Amino acid sequence: MALRPVVVTGLGIICAAGRDPAEFWRRLTAGQGGLTPIEDEAFAVFTARYAGQVPDAWIDDRLPAEDRGVDRTARLALVAARQAVEQAGLAARGPGPGRAGGPGPGRFGIILGKCQATPDAEGRYQPMHRTADAVADRLGLRGPRILVSTACAAGGNAVGLARDKILTGEADAVLAGGVDPLLFGTYAGFAGLQALSTGPCRPYSSSDGLNLGEGAAFLLLEPLDLALARGATPLAEVAGYGLSADAYHATAPDPTGRGGASAVRRALADAGLTPADVHYVSGHGTGTPANDAMEAKVMRLVFGERAGRVPTSGIKSFVGHTLGAAGAVEAVASVLALQHGVAPPTIGFEDEPAATDLDFVPNEARPMAIDTVVSNNYAFGGNNVSLVLTRPRGPRPYDGLPRRAAVITGLGPVTGVGAGITEVAEAVAAGRQEPGRPPSLDGRTYAPRSLWRHMNHLSRMAIAASRLAWEDAGLKLPRKALDDVGLVFATAAGSAESTGGFDESIALNPNKPAVLSFSNVVLNATGGAVCQTLGLRGPTTTICNGGASASIALDCALEMIRAGKAEVVLVVAADETTAPAPPPDPPVPYGEGSAAPVPGSAAVAFVVESAEHCAGRGGRAYARVAGTAHTTGAGTEAVLREPPVAGPVELVVGAGAGGPEDGQEAAAVLDCAPGALLTASAGLTGDCQAATGAMNLVLAALALRERLAPALTGLIAPRAGTIGSYVTKPDLPAPVRRALALTAAHGSVRGAVLLEAV
Amino acid sequence: MASVLATEHPEDTAYGEVGDATVPLRFSSLAEEYRVLRDRAAVLDLGGHGLIQITGSGGVDFAQRVLARDVEYLTSDRCMMSLVLDESGQVVDQVLAFGREDGLLLESSCGAGARLLEHLLARVADDDVQITDRSGDLTVIGLEGPYAWGVVGRLIDAELASLPFESVVDTTWDDVEIVFARTGLTGEYGYQMIVPVESAAAMWRRSLEHAQAAGLEALELAMLEVRQPIPRHEVTPGASVIEIGANWLVDITKDAFVGKDAVVEAFEAGGGRRTVGFTGCPDVPALGTRVQAAGQDIGEVVYAVRSVGLDATLGLARVTGELAAAGLELSVGGLPVTTLTSPYVVPKSWSIPII
Repeated sequence: MALRPVVVTGLGIICAAGRDPAEFWRRLTAGQGGLTPIEDEAFAVFTARYAGQVPDAWIDDRLPAEDRGVDRTARLALVAARQAVEQAGLAARGPGPGRAGGPGPGRFGIILGKCQATPDAEGRYQPMHRTADAVADRLGLRGPRILVSTACAAGGNAVGLARDKILTGEADAVLAGGVDPLLFGTYAGFAGLQALSTGPCRPYSSSDGLNLGEGAAFLLLEPLDLALARGATPLAEVAGYGLSADAYHATAPDPTGRGGASAVRRALADAGLTPADVHYVSGHGTGTPANDAMEAKVMRLVFGERAGRVPTSGIKSFVGHTLGAAGAVEAVASVLALQHGVAPPTIGFEDEPAATDLDFVPNEARPMAIDTVVSNNYAFGGNNVSLVLTRPRGPRPYDGLPRRAAVITGLGPVTGVGAGITEVAEAVAAGRQEPGRPPSLDGRTYAPRSLWRHMNHLSRMAIAASRLAWEDAGLKLPRKALDDVGLVFATAAGSAESTGGFDESIALNPNKPAVLSFSNVVLNATGGAVCQTLGLRGPTTTICNGGASASIALDCALEMIRAGKAEVVLVVAADETTAPAPPPDPPVPYGEGSAAPVPGSAAVAFVVESAEHCAGRGGRAYARVAGTAHTTGAGTEAVLREPPVAGPVELVVGAGAGGPEDGQEAAAVLDCAPGALLTASAGLTGDCQAATGAMNLVLAALALRERLAPALTGLIAPRAGTIGSYVTKPDLPAPVRRALALTAAHGSVRGAVLLEAV
Repeated sequence: MASVLATEHPEDTAYGEVGDATVPLRFSSLAEEYRVLRDRAAVLDLGGHGLIQITGSGGVDFAQRVLARDVEYLTSDRCMMSLVLDESGQVVDQVLAFGREDGLLLESSCGAGARLLEHLLARVADDDVQITDRSGDLTVIGLEGPYAWGVVGRLIDAELASLPFESVVDTTWDDVEIVFARTGLTGEYGYQMIVPVESAAAMWRRSLEHAQAAGLEALELAMLEVRQPIPRHEVTPGASVIEIGANWLVDITKDAFVGKDAVVEAFEAGGGRRTVGFTGCPDVPALGTRVQAAGQDIGEVVYAVRSVGLDATLGLARVTGELAAAGLELSVGGLPVTTLTSPYVVPKSWSIPII
């Protein structure tokens, strides 16, 4: 099946080796690296002090005045984003219809990869998605907006997800890339792991450690037909991508290279190509012994006898490891390699080429015919991403992405009112509410003790939720089938416990960081722990769009199923609060007198399966996923009017959490879904961010099967409408055939998921 | 029980009776086989290891009850070593437990299969657990040595060579379904292949094209040198898990397992004897030889051999706890010895990467 060709029409980059694609490429081909001793004296406490830094002047010289007020991370991203948009011919004052046939704002999305949470001016962490919001707002992008945080693989992951959004028809253009600045804490963490080289890193030869870097890179993706129609020049095709989970270790790569090889094989299969078609591999090439040894195995596993004849190089030798940006930086280099017919070198390569059976393009760029590039990235948490980029071809017939029915077959809520759908259903039926109460994981085991005892609380909750959802689905898959089960993790902020513990250790002594906590600071760590515990090695990613993360994660799962990349995907959302005990007055979602949400901790998982797979195994589904929709920058009404979710429903499980934002959501629901009853999960659990979105989905699915929904206890005066429009008794007055679950990252993305009875 | 590979072994192979099994002790000489194992790659006939399958809807719960380590979530791509204890906390056997799709497969220590089977059968109370002796249709062949990974690559699949420790893969060799595991008993790279008996001879012959055979004597010597427990030598009547030094093969955080109470009691009681390695006396002392410190009797020798790696006597003594420390001058049978910290020989594999 030939899918709609997706091409790159614009590139943007800022990193230690250049402030735009031209300068970047000139330095790559000249072998002129950008790794230098760190100028900031704060870093003098570390023995290793080389990094790939971006001078502030490079950033500010290239930004319009209106961009200069945002934080450095967003400024880095804006530099690269504006370049890509401009090269694609979509600049002017933001994209819009009427400018050479460019995409309308609602059809123009952004998918950003980022590894590190960015501190604001006061040192508090901003929401992960804030950087994407800043770029989107300034460029007028109102299409799909996703923050993907698969650590060091996020940038490549973003490019793949962007292709998905074009293939599903949700977007006509997507800005895909990654960004990360050089942060002191992260530097201390890598120093603590003894992963830093004391000089410029030398991937694939000395392999004595990595250098951190900073920067941003974007690729502008469009469907080939639309790009040609508006006269744009395709630079490369994003022919396919592959994701995989090592399911092996929190930080170390699977030494067999199985995970990395699996990602390459999936990417090639997605592209309809074989290893024999690959001319050049852009390696992850961090320069650590574990990574470089693993990558050599990936090359041998994928290419076999031909491994030594497929040049592979690591441009981190020029720019350092730019973490969430790395995959995008390397994708930009790969597109340039295709364009120019030159493989960039691995600089600082010390061994004689004869010392290895692999060709690492030592020290000098190599002109060569390149039609197909594979770009690989690997990350903490065992996340692997491979992109397949090819020289652009002409227009050709294509098939649409198949429409495959998907169902929800297992529910695994782990909340303060209970663990498992049976306990939660009992709590709902009894009208019990525990907002802000942390879940209890006592009474049974969820993982081997050898793993459990090393895990933080967020991972424990997520594993418990995943195990419960899996058991609820009644899935009994053999080991081999687990290799293809996908996992999408959704979180707003990751582990507060690990982040806090790590930051505290750095504050005390940057040379004695809490390294175990550091490995769990990356937001995908919990997803990796779930994969490791359940042995899932299918496609995996991590979505960090605040309270909207779960519905976006569901979208990713549906895309995996539609593309035939997985038949079963586990979606798990988890967030936690470090707030003290909940206040005595519980929040009342949609209630006039409720002043603020109560923060809570929870993990909620659900199993998404192709309807075909569920039927084939005789499984019993809770609900069919009838449609999903997301909108950005607008209120709830916009998302409720999106065609995939519009129409009559009997129940809405809303994102109301007991704050002033509830009013507009309630009003929109009453207006757009007349006759539906409105409720929310936050009264049960508190506002658990991403987990609240997933809980809304779970409760909607439960209502379809059990005719049961949480009553809004304490709701007397609603902010909108009358009390009769809300669920005030858990036993619903009539069976529910269609239910809507809402999610919200306020000020950013709102989501809606329509579930139908099966 | 004779090895299914007996017909493949050289005529002058030295056999020995170990428990319920007749096993090859030496194919050539101990020194030669030891050097193969420590320097290159050795093929091991592990046919003396019994294979017992636990299946049924209650199989995993049963295994969780009879094994001293946590196997509740032992998936079919993992294996782990565990003790099997009786109700009084005495060691019945030390097994390698393989997670399987339909339960677990236990590999006994050498010659202990029948005893293990009897122990398990005696504790099955419900119909939802089936215990099956698979020793008649499956056997185990091992590879051990610093270059054993290379043999795996040539024999089966290079992708399997760098499997993480205690990983298991169901794969095919020569169109035969086998279970392949990264294990290791000697500190060197180690692998085991569980193969149908009818294919064992072919695999043995093919393995010998890339490596040399080593018998039980070389294997047990190399195990001792890295302090890998050898139940048949170290488990003495009345000795607790702690005295044997096999604490790592039990998990007292488990809710319950057969023998847990006794183990916990021993942990809480403290004191007692401990096992420590020693070297020094020119001749290998007999088992039970008394060990003294400053003229005081503190324990006895439980196992001793001539170490090829050390070119000296190497033994284990079970002595008063506070004296089970490295670097002490003791006497064994009146001759001076020095206690050691393990490993007593550093495996070559620790400095050789798999490429």
